Amino acid sequence: MNETLRTIIVEDEELARHLMKSFLNDIEGIELIAECENGFEGVKMINELKPDLVFLDIQMPKITGFEMLELLEHKPQIIFATAYDQYALKAFEYNAVDYLLKPYSRDRLEEAVAKVIARIQKEGKESDVIEKLGEFPREEYLDRIVVKDRNKIHIAPIDAVRYIESMDDYVMIYTNEGRWMKQKTMKYFETSLNPNDFVRIHRSYIVKVNEIAEIQQYEKESYIVILHDKTKLKVSKTGYKNLKDVLNF
Amino acid sequence: MDFRHPFFTNPRLSVGYGIFWLVASTVVVLIATLVNGVPVERAMIEIFAFIILYAVIGAAIWYVIKFSTLEDSGVLRIILAHLIAATIIVFLWMYIGVVIIKIFHPNTEEWLGQTVFNRAVAGYAMYVAFVIFFYAVNYYYAFKDKVKDETHLKALVKEAELQALKSQINPHFLFNSLNSISSLTMTDPARAQEMVINLSQLMRYSLKHDQHEKVSFKQELENNKLYLSIEKVRFGRKLNPVFAIEEACLNAEIPNMILQPLYENAIKYGVYEATEAVDVITHCKYIENHLVVSISNTYDKNVMSKKGEGIGLRNIRDRLQVIYANPHLMKIENTNNEFTVTLTIPQNPKNNE
Repeated sequence: MNETLRTIIVEDEELARHLMKSFLNDIEGIELIAECENGFEGVKMINELKPDLVFLDIQMPKITGFEMLELLEHKPQIIFATAYDQYALKAFEYNAVDYLLKPYSRDRLEEAVAKVIARIQKEGKESDVIEKLGEFPREEYLDRIVVKDRNKIHIAPIDAVRYIESMDDYVMIYTNEGRWMKQKTMKYFETSLNPNDFVRIHRSYIVKVNEIAEIQQYEKESYIVILHDKTKLKVSKTGYKNLKDVLNF
Repeated sequence: MDFRHPFFTNPRLSVGYGIFWLVASTVVVLIATLVNGVPVERAMIEIFAFIILYAVIGAAIWYVIKFSTLEDSGVLRIILAHLIAATIIVFLWMYIGVVIIKIFHPNTEEWLGQTVFNRAVAGYAMYVAFVIFFYAVNYYYAFKDKVKDETHLKALVKEAELQALKSQINPHFLFNSLNSISSLTMTDPARAQEMVINLSQLMRYSLKHDQHEKVSFKQELENNKLYLSIEKVRFGRKLNPVFAIEEACLNAEIPNMILQPLYENAIKYGVYEATEAVDVITHCKYIENHLVVSISNTYDKNVMSKKGEGIGLRNIRDRLQVIYANPHLMKIENTNNEFTVTLTIPQNPKNNE
């Protein structure tokens, strides 16, 4: 391969960054273009510099490596590097190229880079890392939703989320602090939110149970829910059944 | 089941039994001679021949009880067994009694013959009394065994509980530290070596003190300083440990490895999420025979959606509860952006003068 791999390291620990940098220095074909200390910086740099390859830590301040991936507009090849082995499966579901367990050796890192080169030769530089997001059931429910609002990243705790409305390829997330758009499916939220707290009441709505003030009959066979702030949302037949199951009436 | 006679296994019981019958027969002899005017010699021979003899033969009744328990055989079978045993014992008792008396007084036939029926009835009545006595003895032993088993079981359960609640060094801490060392070996071998030594010392402490419940606060503190110094290598200026320790606290006792999860939490929720330096503050006071330790850190409210008491904190609460039988020894304060956990460790007043 004649071209170099333009590479970014996203890693919060200085020593870990340093180690990776000195390993990468010796590998031909790697051009390190940036180092990021946290996820916010990572999102900004990746979208701006459009690297070919990103080394990504998972547990980082502010937002995790996985949450970061959800906010990317540019889709690089990803190699995770972490001390946690329990995310390996999830990482490959996200179509990561490799998963380095700390502490890793120079040889292991070279092997991972070789995999990236092989994949790029086969499939081209753009990865499908983002398309894969959210198609797999989660082991635990979300406790926050990370959204990008122009150049700012906003973290909405689940407690602040009131309801979610579908809008074609996007969803609108209504929270106590405002509303945010995110490129996700309703199916994703239906499976990643705790079913005791959130109900799918309609093809277009998922509502937090505690936000519901009233359920009213609208026509003969149809209902609407009225939230505490007087917002009215349509309820489908299946939605009414879901409400009945959760609220026990 | 233990088939040894309680008279053999418990000498005190057999001595008590002997004394009881000697006193009882002496009283009967006294009554016979003083009240009824029976000649002393005859009263003594007769009473001793019958009462003491019964006491000796009667000891065997325990076996009847032991070999025909309600658990193994029906009520009818037990009654039948007792009837047969009672008849044999009463017959033996009367026969041997008469033989003994005849040795001393060959001509006592008439008064012996008159009392055969009364004697037999008394023999059966005594049998019933013995059965009750031995049942009481067996019951008492079974009860004592049960209490013993129960205390033993309770101790085992407590030990198991404590074992489960004990905190261990988080493996991710270990792997991340090893990664830091891997990095330092290239840039700063001396610091890498120092970190290896600190890490080893901390690991040794956590392994060794698995066996001991309590250590001195000084020891616990030193090891947590080791822990913090290792984390400091990873987090640099972001982690700023501050200590305010009263001199009197150092000799106090504290369950081992109980502070480590608190520092771990402070780092996980305070330091880790921060981009600026975070103070992790340890206060320690000695107040009225209690060691009061509090560890606090600031955290970024916007990042954390704090969901009450995590498993680490709950384990500490439970562990203190098991050791000190008091559920109120851990206090959590979560104000605005500061998180504080306070432990109150009761002290044995004798240990701290």
